[in-house]
Amino acid sequence: MRRSLLTGVGLVSGLLVLLDLLVVNPSLGQAAGALNELLVLLAAAAAVGGGATLLAHHARALAAGSGDQVGSIVLLAGMGAILLAGLRPGSTGSSDPVVLWLVAALLAPIAASLFALLFIFLLGAVRRGFTLRARETAVMASAAAIVIVLLLPIGGQAGDWLSASAGWVRAVPLAGVFRGLLIGVGIMVAVSAARSLLALDRDDE
Amino acid sequence: MPNLGELAAQLIRLLANAVGSSSLRLEAAPTVGILLVLLVLLSLLARPSARWSAADLGRMAEVGRAMALAAESGADAAVSLGGAGVVRASSAVDRFQTLGALPLLEHVAEAAARAGVPLQVTTNDPLAAIFAEATLATAHRRTATPERASASTVEYLGEGRAVAAAAALARAQTHGVAVAAGGMAEEGLLLLDGVLDDADWTVAGTASASQAAGPLLFGDGSLIGPELFQVAGEISSRVHARAAVLAANRLIWTVISVLLLGSFVAWAGGPQVAGFLAGR
Repeated sequence: MRRSLLTGVGLVSGLLVLLDLLVVNPSLGQAAGALNELLVLLAAAAAVGGGATLLAHHARALAAGSGDQVGSIVLLAGMGAILLAGLRPGSTGSSDPVVLWLVAALLAPIAASLFALLFIFLLGAVRRGFTLRARETAVMASAAAIVIVLLLPIGGQAGDWLSASAGWVRAVPLAGVFRGLLIGVGIMVAVSAARSLLALDRDDE
Repeated sequence: MPNLGELAAQLIRLLANAVGSSSLRLEAAPTVGILLVLLVLLSLLARPSARWSAADLGRMAEVGRAMALAAESGADAAVSLGGAGVVRASSAVDRFQTLGALPLLEHVAEAAARAGVPLQVTTNDPLAAIFAEATLATAHRRTATPERASASTVEYLGEGRAVAAAAALARAQTHGVAVAAGGMAEEGLLLLDGVLDDADWTVAGTASASQAAGPLLFGDGSLIGPELFQVAGEISSRVHARAAVLAANRLIWTVISVLLLGSFVAWAGGPQVAGFLAGR
C-alpha cells in the first residue's frame, strides 16, 4: 500500500511537470509551480539540516576525541566565522563586506590553490594509468603530446601550419568525439528522466 | 439540482475551456519528439521481451569478489557521489549523474552488506546524502543483514565542489573497494585521486564529457559518458533496468538513422534538416 502510494504520488507529480513542459495552461502552470516551490522548500530544509548534521558530527567527534581533531576544529571555526559575520547585528547577510572579504581573501585563494594542484595530479594519474592499462594510456598521452606540440608558440610558416593543424584537431576529431559522447549522454538522460518522472523504481516491481 | 445531461455538458464545457485556454509550449516537432521517447520506454515496459546480453560495463561483475577480498583483509569500502549533488546549483545533466550513480551505489552496498564490509559514502549535497542513506537501508533489507547496517555510514561533507575534492585528498586512505561516480567538473581529478588512490579495486564514472580522462586514468573499471546511466541495466536483471537500456539502444539507432538520412538528404541537394532538428 505504502509502495503504491509513493509510486502514485511520483507518477502524478512527474506527469504534471511533464505536461507543464509541453502545454501552456495557467492552471497547470500554477500546479507545477506549487510543486517546484515545494521542491525549493525541501532543498532549503535539506541544506539547513545538512549544515546542522555537519556541525553535530564534528562537535561529537571533538567531544569523543575521535577522527581528525584538527580538521574538525578548522571546520567549526570556519563555520562560526562565516555565521558570525553574516548574522551579527547590523550585518547585511551574504552581501556584508566582512562575508565578502572572507570569501574573496580566504575561500577563493584556497580553492584556487587546490585547483592549481591539478597539473601535478594529472601527472600522477598518467603514471597510474600506465600501470593499469598501458596501451590506452599510451594512446591518450600520445594524443596529448601531439596537441601540445601543435600548440607550441612558433612563428613563421611552420607556426601557421601547426596552428592550423591544432585548429583542425580541435574542430574535427575532438569535437566529433565530444558530440558523440554528448548525444549518448543526452539519450540516456532522456531515458533516466522518463524513468524518474514515471516513478519507476526497483521497489515497484 | 442539475440532471445527468446538464452535468455531462458542464464537464465537457470545463474540459473544452481548459483545452481552449492552452497552447503548446514547444513547437509540434519537439513535443512529438519528447512524447516519442516516453512511448518507446512505455512500449518496452509493456513488452520487455527483446534479447538481452550484458557487456559488464565498468567491470562491475567483479564487485562481489573485490568485496570478499576486502572482507578477508579487514579493509573497508568507500563511495563518493561526485561533486554535482541533487539540489546544488549545477546543471540538470550534472544532477542526473548523481541520480544515475545511485543504482551503482545500491549494487556496491548490496555486495558490501553480503560480505560484511563497512561502507563509507560521502557527498557534498544534503539531499543526495538522504538518498544514499535510503539506498544503504534498502541494500541491508534486501540482503537481510540489518545487524551490519550500523557499520556503514553516509557523510555530508559540506557545500561546494572544492569541499568534496579537498575532503577526499585530506582523508586519503587505503580502501579495499573504492567507487567515485557522478557529476564532476575541474575538481574531478582531485576527487578521484583522493578517493581511489591506493585502493585494491576501483571504479570511476562520470557522464561529464570534459572529465572523461579522469576515470580512464584512475579506475580499474571506468564508466564514461552514457555508460554511467547504462550500467544500471547491466548490473540488474530487473525489468525497468533492462527496459532503460533497450530504450536507449532504440533511441541511439533512431538518432543514427536520422543523422544518416539527414546527411543523405543534404548531400542530395534537398533541404538542410539540421536547423529544423536543432530547433533553429
